[in-house]
Amino acid sequence: MDNYFIPIIITGAFAGISIGLLGVLIVGMRMPFIGSCISHTAMVGAVYASLLGIDPMAGAVALSMAGSVGAVFIPPNRKNLDANTGQAILLSFMMGLVFLAVGLEQGSRSEMLSLLWGNVLFADWCTVFITGSLTLLLLVFMVVFDKELKAILFSRSLAMVTGKHTGLVYFLFLCFCGLILAVNLKAVGGLLIFSLLVCPAAAAYQVCRGYNAVVLFSLLFGVLSTVLGFSISYFLNMPTGACIVITSSLIFAASSLFVSIRKRD
Amino acid sequence: MKNSVTLSNVLVRRRFTTILEIDHLVIPFRQFTGLIGPNGAGKTTLLKLCCGSIKPDKGKISLGSKRIGYIPQQAEYNAHLPFTLREIVAMGRNALKPLARRLDKTDYERVDFWISRMGLYDRRRQSFRSLSGGQQQKTLIARAMVSEPDFVLMDEPGANLDPAWKGQLRDILNGLFEENPMSILLVSHELDWIPESCQRFILLDSGRIAADGLPAEVLKESSIRRIFENTLLSSERA
Repeated sequence: MDNYFIPIIITGAFAGISIGLLGVLIVGMRMPFIGSCISHTAMVGAVYASLLGIDPMAGAVALSMAGSVGAVFIPPNRKNLDANTGQAILLSFMMGLVFLAVGLEQGSRSEMLSLLWGNVLFADWCTVFITGSLTLLLLVFMVVFDKELKAILFSRSLAMVTGKHTGLVYFLFLCFCGLILAVNLKAVGGLLIFSLLVCPAAAAYQVCRGYNAVVLFSLLFGVLSTVLGFSISYFLNMPTGACIVITSSLIFAASSLFVSIRKRD
Repeated sequence: MKNSVTLSNVLVRRRFTTILEIDHLVIPFRQFTGLIGPNGAGKTTLLKLCCGSIKPDKGKISLGSKRIGYIPQQAEYNAHLPFTLREIVAMGRNALKPLARRLDKTDYERVDFWISRMGLYDRRRQSFRSLSGGQQQKTLIARAMVSEPDFVLMDEPGANLDPAWKGQLRDILNGLFEENPMSILLVSHELDWIPESCQRFILLDSGRIAADGLPAEVLKESSIRRIFENTLLSSERA
């Protein structure tokens, strides 16, 4: 592997860490669709920006941040509509908008399609800097607001009654969702980022006891998914995003197997 | 000390149905109040109004208590997460700490005190999801108590517990009320296990207060039977 691939591998590792960490919060709050909704909102921003000749990344960040801020107003317990159902409807609407933009594109669709499937091979040292800085910021956020995040994970409605500044911490978490999912869109792809968001965290939740262990293992599983997935794609000449997603799904399957064997013993 | 909570002309509506309508209700400090009534009477709505998690469509609620301990129904928290018992109890200290300030040694001493008080010290490193229903309820009581509350709200804490656990829970609640300067508002639709320290019963029926007073007065067999039978008949008709 030559020097050209070093920033690619590092970008992949940062994507694994940051999305794996976000997954702990998203899976723990039982709202995986919200991550998917935000990543698809980013995808809508990117494809329409591309259609209008604007930098797709700027469109992705702008729209996903707007989507994240909008998600603050979804109440934790709504009686007449399950939150996941509402988010699934929003998700399908976003998908419709994405494929409408793909259909409207007159020229080459390769850049738009790469936003759907992902392509880590574009990564350079500038990408490493951006993804690295965001990963570091997310880590700092999770350490500083550790006790508030734990309370929100256990019960957002309970945290709002008995805790302080729960709304602010939840808002910051959604802002991180918007930023990180938009920035990693090009590398992992809007359709595939969902798997990386859910599988490492779900695997960690199965095998660990205690919040800190879940965070550590989700981070490790995320890195393993991206670095191993990329290596498989490089050596076997296969699509990168697909290899990453299949690796993360296999990690989840292995953790399920481990838990069922441990229970039997 | 002011009243724990005062409700004046409160109305809660969902679409075209009145869920709760209360002209005047005061819960004084250091009173153990039982909120009883059949399913759908508006008990949980009243509890949520008192803790501020929902707002009324009309009327005024003034909360005199500074710190609230809330023990919700199981549907309101993620019991499947691998948090340890100690982590869950420690979350209660958030109410006393400024934003982003980590818990210190004193906080964890209080956490361990309440875990021991509930008889769960040996299980403090066990995951919450592996505990029995009764042990989970005790953990949530410890979580509420570490915040040093002056008003504790409990939503059906005895639900899904067997008679032995309900007996234990009754003793714990009696003890907590005797030992700590606080008010308790306990919601239950089961009348057989409510602690003896409970000096006042409020009977809700179809969103309105049907009776309010000493337990013996409210628990008059005829009024209770009438309300519970009416609910049963209307649900059978539906």
